[in-house]
Amino acid sequence: MLVETADRRLIISRRLRIPYCTMKKLLTLGVAALLAASFGACKKKGSDAYAGIDGDYVTGTPLPERVEGANFFGSNVTRGQFPPVYFAFDSISVSGSELEKVQQVGSAMKSMNQTLIIAGFTDERGTEEYNRGLGEKRAQAVRDLLISQGVSGGRIQTVSFGEEMPADSGSSESAWVKNRRVEFGVVK
Amino acid sequence: MKRAAILFVILASGLHGQEAATITIRKGDTTSVALKSLGGSEGAAATKVLQSDLDLSGWFVLTPPERGTYVIGGSASGGSLQGEVTDQRGSVVLQKTYSGGTRTAAHRFADDIVETITGHKGIASSKIAFAASRTGRKEIYTADYDGANVRQLTHDGAISVAPALSPDGSKLAYTGYQSGYADIYLIDLASGSRNRIVKFPGTNSGAAFSPSGSQIACTLSKDGNPELYVAGTSGSGARRLTRTRGVESSPTWSPDGSQIIYSSDERGGPQLFKIGAGGGSGQLISTGYNYCTEPSWSPDGRKVAFTARTGGFSVAVKDLQSGATTLVASGEDPAWGADSRHLIFSTGSSIVLFDAQTGRSVPIITGLGKVSEPTWSR
Repeated sequence: MLVETADRRLIISRRLRIPYCTMKKLLTLGVAALLAASFGACKKKGSDAYAGIDGDYVTGTPLPERVEGANFFGSNVTRGQFPPVYFAFDSISVSGSELEKVQQVGSAMKSMNQTLIIAGFTDERGTEEYNRGLGEKRAQAVRDLLISQGVSGGRIQTVSFGEEMPADSGSSESAWVKNRRVEFGVVK
Repeated sequence: MKRAAILFVILASGLHGQEAATITIRKGDTTSVALKSLGGSEGAAATKVLQSDLDLSGWFVLTPPERGTYVIGGSASGGSLQGEVTDQRGSVVLQKTYSGGTRTAAHRFADDIVETITGHKGIASSKIAFAASRTGRKEIYTADYDGANVRQLTHDGAISVAPALSPDGSKLAYTGYQSGYADIYLIDLASGSRNRIVKFPGTNSGAAFSPSGSQIACTLSKDGNPELYVAGTSGSGARRLTRTRGVESSPTWSPDGSQIIYSSDERGGPQLFKIGAGGGSGQLISTGYNYCTEPSWSPDGRKVAFTARTGGFSVAVKDLQSGATTLVASGEDPAWGADSRHLIFSTGSSIVLFDAQTGRSVPIITGLGKVSEPTWSR
């Protein structure tokens, strides 16, 4: 079992392209809380049984109910209060200066009581539906980082626009680097 | 006629990288049929539709009457068509009256000809749908399989994407952003009535109808990660299928509805996996490509078409029996037709009807801006 656990950490670490030390820190800080929250939520649902003994992942913290009428690109959401977080192609890894941006959002969230919407985006390359999933995964990865910083997951919504609504409508690497991003919106 | 005796077609044009697909065309794959001009006031129009359908089907070579293994004739007027097919001895092998307008009647006659002579289901009566950016925001459009009768279905002014036609073509599910979030909507195409059927927190997208049309598989992120779920077509009873750290997307059902192939990036780049529709654990389907998305399982169950990253993006077909994967064209988002022979896919500026047996490519939708995510009724 110990061996399997170690393997799995390596797999997670490789998948997220996060340095192992950061991953370890994340795991120790966040996983206990994540597990507790996920199990709690699943117990409530009852019928949502686990797949079996083959092994899987208890991933993420369930999203809170939506704030009705909170449209990310609408007038009831303030965008641009925090700078976007950028990603490499087909990656959900947040590191270096991008991680600092997330930490600043986390610090600010602690002195605010509004709900945050994290919107995920991709560049135009690749197929649309996978990119919607990838954009969502980027938003969820940033949400997980905020939760590990101590922000309540109940205050953070996500949405993915995939390759739609690009920041730069060009078709070159200089446009693509601006489009692989998550943006933050604060619900008024 | 156009496609006689070409032995090798090299699909080098437009394919990125070094991989050029070679498709072998065997002369014996086609049956010679003679189409006599249909009589009646709408005979000329019906003949034109029928000729196009028989040609696009890929199964036939059109010949003069004396050389046809089968002779097709009939008459069309008042929106209905009387069709007849005879063999070389003059015996009637198909005789039927069709209604519903000249085009519809001719399409139905063409499908019956295909089924009678080849035993395969035809594609002439099928419908397609896709997303197009013509108006500035993506909206859903529908059309006949040959690109005729294009109609803008949604006028949401938001983002409307990922259309999925039910197998019988009566319903369309799509992903719409009117609420500010991605939700799944279901439209009854006959009445035009629309319901928002999946609206969990997060992103709800990529609905795919089960073969019976009674269930949808889709990607939901409500539990903190994009995962696959199966729900009723009212959106009720969503049941989670996958539990990974990756992104699951683009489910496609086996013909009997018992299994689902999908794309997951839990091992790095997105790969194809197979899982029981009732649950289980995903099994990797190896293809040799490290970016495999948007699979479509053929109605005969034998093949899966998908998008592979090859420098650019290519349509690839994996034969599930032999295990071989072949790049067939440059494009994205392939969807199989009812005959398990034709694909439609997007090239960005057009939707192409592609014969996977001969490599013949016919643009059917152009001039609507960026066109994407075609779906095909069966």
